[in-house]
Amino acid sequence: MKKITLLLLCILLSMSITGCSSFWEKDTNTVVIGGKNFTEQDILVYMMKGIIEEKTDIKVKAKAYLGGTNVVSQAIDRGDLDIYAEYTGTALVSVLDEEYSPSDPEVVYEKVKTIYDAKKQIIWLKPFGFNNTYTLSMRTEQANALGIETFSDLAKQSAALRLGATHEFLERIDGYKNVKAVYNMKFSSPAGMDPGLTYTACRDSNVDVIDAFSTDGRILAFNLKVLADDKKVFPPFYAAPIIRADTLKKHPEIGEALNLLAGKLTNEEMMTLNAKVDLEGKSPQVVANEWLKAKGLI
Amino acid sequence: MMFNNFLIMLQNRWPEIMIGTWEHIQLTLVALFIGNLIALPLGILLTRKRKLAEAVIGITSVFQTIPSLALLGFMIPFFGIGFGPAIVALSIYALLPILRNTYTGILGVNQAVVDAGTGMGMTSRQVLFMIEIPLALPIIMAGIRTATVMVIGVATLAALVGAGGLGDIIFRGIAMARQDLILAGAIPAALLSMIFDYILKRIEIAVQP
Repeated sequence: MKKITLLLLCILLSMSITGCSSFWEKDTNTVVIGGKNFTEQDILVYMMKGIIEEKTDIKVKAKAYLGGTNVVSQAIDRGDLDIYAEYTGTALVSVLDEEYSPSDPEVVYEKVKTIYDAKKQIIWLKPFGFNNTYTLSMRTEQANALGIETFSDLAKQSAALRLGATHEFLERIDGYKNVKAVYNMKFSSPAGMDPGLTYTACRDSNVDVIDAFSTDGRILAFNLKVLADDKKVFPPFYAAPIIRADTLKKHPEIGEALNLLAGKLTNEEMMTLNAKVDLEGKSPQVVANEWLKAKGLI
Repeated sequence: MMFNNFLIMLQNRWPEIMIGTWEHIQLTLVALFIGNLIALPLGILLTRKRKLAEAVIGITSVFQTIPSLALLGFMIPFFGIGFGPAIVALSIYALLPILRNTYTGILGVNQAVVDAGTGMGMTSRQVLFMIEIPLALPIIMAGIRTATVMVIGVATLAALVGAGGLGDIIFRGIAMARQDLILAGAIPAALLSMIFDYILKRIEIAVQP
C-alpha cells in the first residue's frame, strides 16, 4: 500500500513538473494575456483572447485572475505578460503614483499613455468604452423620491442618510475623506463593512448610500442608482488593453485586432456582462464569447 | 522615528480609537450577558437531566466549529447588518465554554459532600446554591473567563458586518496595508481582554466561599 502511494506521489510530482515546463517556455507565436482578480477582468481577458485568435493566427495564453494591480503591472513590466486591461485612473494613481487633479477622461488617458510609452515601453490601445470608477450609489426609488442625481444633491441631504462603505473606501485619502471634504458630506457615522456586503445592505435598506464600482452587475440587478460625481473627485477609470511595445512591434496585427473592441462596451453593457457571471453564475469565457458573437466580431 | 510616527497617528486617531473601544466593550458585554443568561441555567439544568447533556453540549460545539466569519455572514439574511447580527453570533460563541464548564464543574463536586447536605435535610435547591455552585465556582468562572477573552477576539470581526468596534480600525489598516493602523486596533483589543480577564479574576476571588 505504501509503495503504491509513493508511486502515485512520484507520478503526480513528475506530472506537475512537466506541466510547469510549458509555463517557462515562451513560444514566439504565443502571447500571454493576464487579468486582475475580479470578474470584469476575467471577461476582458477572454474577450481579448477571443478576438486575437479570431483575427490573427497567434496563439493566446490566458492567465486570468492573477492578483491585484500590483501583481499584473509587475508581471507585464517583467515580460511575463504581454497584454492586460488596465484602467486609466488606476494607472495614474496606483501604478505611476501621480497626483490626480479634476480633469477630463481624455486628458488622463493621454497622460498615462504618454508616460507608459516613454517610461515602460508599454502601449495603451484604444479604450473599451466603459468607465469603472469609484462612485456612490443608492436605491433608485429613494434617490428619485429625494430628487438626488449628483453627489452635490446627496451632500445637501446626507445628514439624514446612512452611509455603508468598505473599510478601504473609508480609509483611503482619495476615498471618502476626499469626497467628504470636497462636497461637505454630513453622514453621521458611516458603517464600515466587508466589500461583499455593501450592495445587499443597500438593497435591504440597512443603509441608504454605499460606495460602489460603476460597472458592478449588482447595481443593475438590485435596482440601484449611480450618482454623478459632478465635481470629479474620483479619477476616470476607463479600461483599455495595454500591450508591451516589443510584442506589438513583432505582431502589429494584435493591435489592430484589439482595437476592434474600442468603444464597443458601454457601462450598461459591462454591467450586464458582470451580472451574468456574478449573479447568474455563467463562466466568464462563455459570457465573453457570446458577447463577441452578438457583436459580430467573431 | 517610526515610534514617533506611531504616536502621532495615535494622537490623530484618538477619538476613533475611543469610539471603537467603547463599541467593542458594548458588543462584548451584551454578548456575554446573553451568553451567561442562557448557558448558566442550561448548564445547571443539564446536571439534573444528564441524558440530554451530551446532545445539548454537542449542538453548542457544532456552533463553535462554524468559522466566526461564516457565522456572521449567515446572520445577515435574518438580522441584517450592524449590532444585531454581531450580538447573536458572539452570544452563540460564548455558549460553549460557559455551558461546558458549568456542567462539568457541578458534576465534579464531591458526591459525599452533596450526600451530606441531603442527609442534613437540605432541599435540592439548597444543595444547589449552598453546596454545588460554591464548590464548582472556580471552574464555572474559568469558563466565563475563557468565553470573555474569546468574545473580545471574535468581536473584531463584527466590523465586517457594519457593527463597528476595534475591528473597524484593524480592517482599515489591512485594506491600506498599514501596520501601524492594524496595531492601533489590535493593541486596545488585547488590553481590553487582559483587563476584562483581570476583573473577572477579582470577582472570582471575592465571591469564593
